[in-house]
Amino acid sequence: MKQTGNRIKQVFRFGILAVVSIFTAFPFLWMILSALKTKEEVMDVSAFFPAVPQWSNFISILVDSPLPGYIANSLLVSVVTVALQIVTGAMLAYAIVFFEFKGRKALFTLIMGTYMLPVAATYIPSYIILSRWGMLDTFRGLVISSTVSIFGIFLLRQSFMQVPKGLVEAARMDGGSHFRILWEIICPMTKSSFITFGLMSFISTYNNYMWPSLITRSSEKYLVSQGLRSFLIEGGAYGTEWALVMAGSAVIVVPLLVLFAFTQKWFINGIGGDTGIKG
Amino acid sequence: MDTVTEKKKSRKKSGVRHALTVLLFISPALIPLFVFWVYPILRSVWLSFTDWDFMTPQYHVIWFKNYSSLFKDSRFYEALWNTLVFTAGTLFPTMIGGLGLALLLRKHFRGNGFFKFVLFSPWITPTVAISIVWTWIFREDGGLANLVLSLFGLPQLKWISSSETAMLSVIIVTVWKSLGYAMIFYLSALEKVPEELYEASALDGAKPWRQFLDMTLPGISPTTFFLMIITMVNSLQAYDQIQILTQGGPSGSTRTLLYLYYQLGFQEFKMGQAASVAVIMIILTVLLSLVQFLASRKWVHY
Repeated sequence: MKQTGNRIKQVFRFGILAVVSIFTAFPFLWMILSALKTKEEVMDVSAFFPAVPQWSNFISILVDSPLPGYIANSLLVSVVTVALQIVTGAMLAYAIVFFEFKGRKALFTLIMGTYMLPVAATYIPSYIILSRWGMLDTFRGLVISSTVSIFGIFLLRQSFMQVPKGLVEAARMDGGSHFRILWEIICPMTKSSFITFGLMSFISTYNNYMWPSLITRSSEKYLVSQGLRSFLIEGGAYGTEWALVMAGSAVIVVPLLVLFAFTQKWFINGIGGDTGIKG
Repeated sequence: MDTVTEKKKSRKKSGVRHALTVLLFISPALIPLFVFWVYPILRSVWLSFTDWDFMTPQYHVIWFKNYSSLFKDSRFYEALWNTLVFTAGTLFPTMIGGLGLALLLRKHFRGNGFFKFVLFSPWITPTVAISIVWTWIFREDGGLANLVLSLFGLPQLKWISSSETAMLSVIIVTVWKSLGYAMIFYLSALEKVPEELYEASALDGAKPWRQFLDMTLPGISPTTFFLMIITMVNSLQAYDQIQILTQGGPSGSTRTLLYLYYQLGFQEFKMGQAASVAVIMIILTVLLSLVQFLASRKWVHY
């Protein structure tokens, strides 16, 4: 009796999850299906599947469109940004956890408080600063204005606090400098939060849209989101090239899904790992 | 005597050294943080008291005129209302849906990992790319969304091209994207609710529903609180999906405060006006967080 009850429950659970998952995955499937259609098919309601998959759509995106260049831009900017954010974040988190100094708590509160404020409120003055420094429309300007990730400081602080303080003191006794302790002892011990932080920051820089679109003007400096949007305006929404626009979206989305498939555990275990509001 | 002063000296010296080390470790993050966060926010407050138009270097201090003209503008009230509708409309479905999914996925079973993968995947893809796909789905004739409605014999909707359904469409896309994120947080929160609690109360004959109310909900309340703040802050700052799906339209029906800020500042170049919207957004964020924080004392159990 109890067994059948469990069975029903399991089927029920599986059913709900399947429905929600289909709803979640469908836009992706629809994107790929549309990308493989001809111009006529994509406008035709009754053609659910493409009669003959138009792989040439993908070729024309990869060869004839500017999208690969945007991907390269996004990759370059996000790799450099992530590297900087890791260094600045790790050093600050180290100072907050292992140093004694006046205003330590106040500093942390200030940083966390900033996290909640709408970042857009900083855009006008930040824009002016970059323009004064002659860094509008440059990758340098883009990178330099995002060298700090507050989320990252928070995440690293959480995991540094798990490291026993005695360990750092012992290393100090042995004459190790704080730099070496951070990179040779703390960093390997908290490797997984570094990876989670790196991935999260990579994804958000790579996908970032509003700020880059405000400070870049020339199209050869677009990141993927902005590039895709201009591609949409030129070729898609107001034209008839929807299949190509979908192929363009797929070229940008699919590699990220593949990356996620291989790094899933760092996201899933790392993000929820500690919400840390217990402070 | 001599040794004492020497000790003092060396202590002073090491104190200076310590201060320098601290400074060395905090400044790489602190300097950019001040230049691109703290200073700009203060500067925005100042700009909101001016009539600066971005084109000319001169500006006049007009104090609260930006605010008073904002408070007379129906666009502002509309945007404020839209912001609240959007925030509430994304917050509750995301939290409740995320918790529901986490409860379903809590026990390990075959396919568990695959479901997590699918449900979280929207979160890692660019909002612009997926909003473009959703634009296509929301197309009036022949769009997928209307196809699904017709399968169930429901009337067709105009989705993003009608001011009545545009907000709903933007909310659907936002919830679709953030459900998995809330789910991940709840999954790890649920893991931390001690198993013994359930076993003990099951022996006492507690019904699952009572267990959920008495143990699970209080156990995960810190995560609920955290997620509420994060989701709210994210919703207040939503831009990408609005910009792609509706550009704040039709007829302002999806123009949130942030979008109004963007239009005033970066399309109309009324920097002073835009800054005053930014300041109001900051105040709104602080107020809403404060309300949640005060309320949390009643229902969050650490």
